[in-house]
Amino acid sequence: MTDRGESDDDTLRTGDGVDAGESSTAAETEAGESTTGTETDAEDETREGLESDGGVSEPAPSSPGVAPESVDGLLEGVESAGIEGYNYAYLDEHTKREVRRATLKAIAIPGHQVPFASREMPLARGWGTGGIQVSLSLLGPDDTFKVIDQGSDESVNAANIRRLAETTANVDPTRDTTAASIIQTRHRIPEEVLTDEQILVLQVPTTDPLRKVDGSDDRNRRRHAHQNYSKMWVSLYENVVEWDEIQIGAAYPVLVNGRYLMSPSPIPRWDTPKLHQAETLFLFAAGREARIYAVPPHTDVEPLAFEDKRFQRERFPEACALCGSTDTYRTEVETDDGKRLYACNDTSFCEKRQRDPSIQKAHHVDRDVGWERLEEPAVDAANDGGEGR
Amino acid sequence: MRALGIDPVGDVRATFRALVDATARPGTIQSTPTAPADRAVLATLVDHEVGLYTEDDRVADALSSEGRLERAAVADADVVHVDGAGAVDLEAVSRGTLKEPSDGASIVYRVDALREDPAASRLGVAVSGPGVPSERTFGVDGLTADELAAFEELTVDFPRGVDVVLAADRAIVGLPRSVDTEVR
Ligand SMILES: [Zn+2]
Repeated sequence: MTDRGESDDDTLRTGDGVDAGESSTAAETEAGESTTGTETDAEDETREGLESDGGVSEPAPSSPGVAPESVDGLLEGVESAGIEGYNYAYLDEHTKREVRRATLKAIAIPGHQVPFASREMPLARGWGTGGIQVSLSLLGPDDTFKVIDQGSDESVNAANIRRLAETTANVDPTRDTTAASIIQTRHRIPEEVLTDEQILVLQVPTTDPLRKVDGSDDRNRRRHAHQNYSKMWVSLYENVVEWDEIQIGAAYPVLVNGRYLMSPSPIPRWDTPKLHQAETLFLFAAGREARIYAVPPHTDVEPLAFEDKRFQRERFPEACALCGSTDTYRTEVETDDGKRLYACNDTSFCEKRQRDPSIQKAHHVDRDVGWERLEEPAVDAANDGGEGR
Repeated sequence: MRALGIDPVGDVRATFRALVDATARPGTIQSTPTAPADRAVLATLVDHEVGLYTEDDRVADALSSEGRLERAAVADADVVHVDGAGAVDLEAVSRGTLKEPSDGASIVYRVDALREDPAASRLGVAVSGPGVPSERTFGVDGLTADELAAFEELTVDFPRGVDVVLAADRAIVGLPRSVDTEVR
């Protein structure tokens, strides 16, 4: 993709493609991402550092009691003053109503970005403030809540979001995908098959896929209004001419219900087909851009592609070094002694596989869910030819 | 909302989850924690940020006492409360714009009964579209085929349209604008 037409309102991106704000994985959304990611903890640390240094100052949250600037600050307040000083699920009911109305409209108009009055949250700017508002509007005491960040339950961000919900909404936290009723996620859809009893809340840094071809939000909204996506197609075509393939690493644009062009958030292409005719409701929330959109279950979600340049998922040259998986999304990681190897990005499932290598992604459901049809030749270095480079 | 016997946090949250399921899985019967379900839905969604059309004084009084009532005429309302067939001129309801279709109204429509079995009801309805694997059916008493056709008529230029929640006792059924309905 070319990156012309950066807009004034698109403050996330700077010229060199490093995000100053919410989208922490600029490299993923830019052209030329290596097919196999190279996310490491070190990079995450760096990004969090950038985040806190580079964040724009915000007005204090208007919650009752103290005005915490972090989950730590908030939870300290809860411990000293008691939970009584806080609203159930942190948000006041007025805020929840706003989020809930937008959520329902989003489900009713699949793929359409519904505006809502996003509020400040005690999370570092950009780290899931939209997602947590949607999650907290849904969560109740009977829920089991899982939070992942790039496939990991252990990141600071995921842990903070989980603690906030656990403390203020009295939900059970879990790391087990199959045990969760609501999963908030940044940049992944779990490997294990999701069911009709689960809701996935995806954190969105950049809502509109058209922004890559035109920086004007207003013009793009008009394009969505009239389903005029020709500029997107032209851009994709130019991409094919230049690279002989569609060079989009993550956030691969999709057409929802045959109507709306939508960014599935920066999930890898690997996860994109999981949105199509799924059992699960997917909610997408962008705090900074104040938009919510949705893909209901049993809804068509098609990646944009050309007849002779079809959508392809990432392929990996090696099995997971930890569990031996060949049917999972893997990232290249560097060990302490400098060795590079491939490992599952979904750490919770990888741990299950390490304990029981025979466990299948649909081990917990007793019907054909269709995900298995997505499986491609797992280790296919020979034919790969360096896809995505 | 305690005036309506509705817990303003827990019941409202449970009602919202029922609405999420009803909207994401059109044609399924979902349960609200309190009855009547139309009041539970209004208590969940309505405040002074949205215009409400209703002739239910108890709901209006309960909202008003909390500073949450902003009355609107049918044509201007974001939420239209309908108590029975023919009570509201559906043609007048706002359908939003192509640019902002989510401005289209939500219609909360009180009916007499909702059932999974269309044969056991006065009107059988078949639903297809997003959220529905091929086709789903349900039955309703207190809704006419004409009213059902009127909902369809309001969504002919999707994404403009209205989103309907049918409500009876503790049951709700969602008919978001994205689905097609026909009498079965
Ligand atoms: Zn593994």
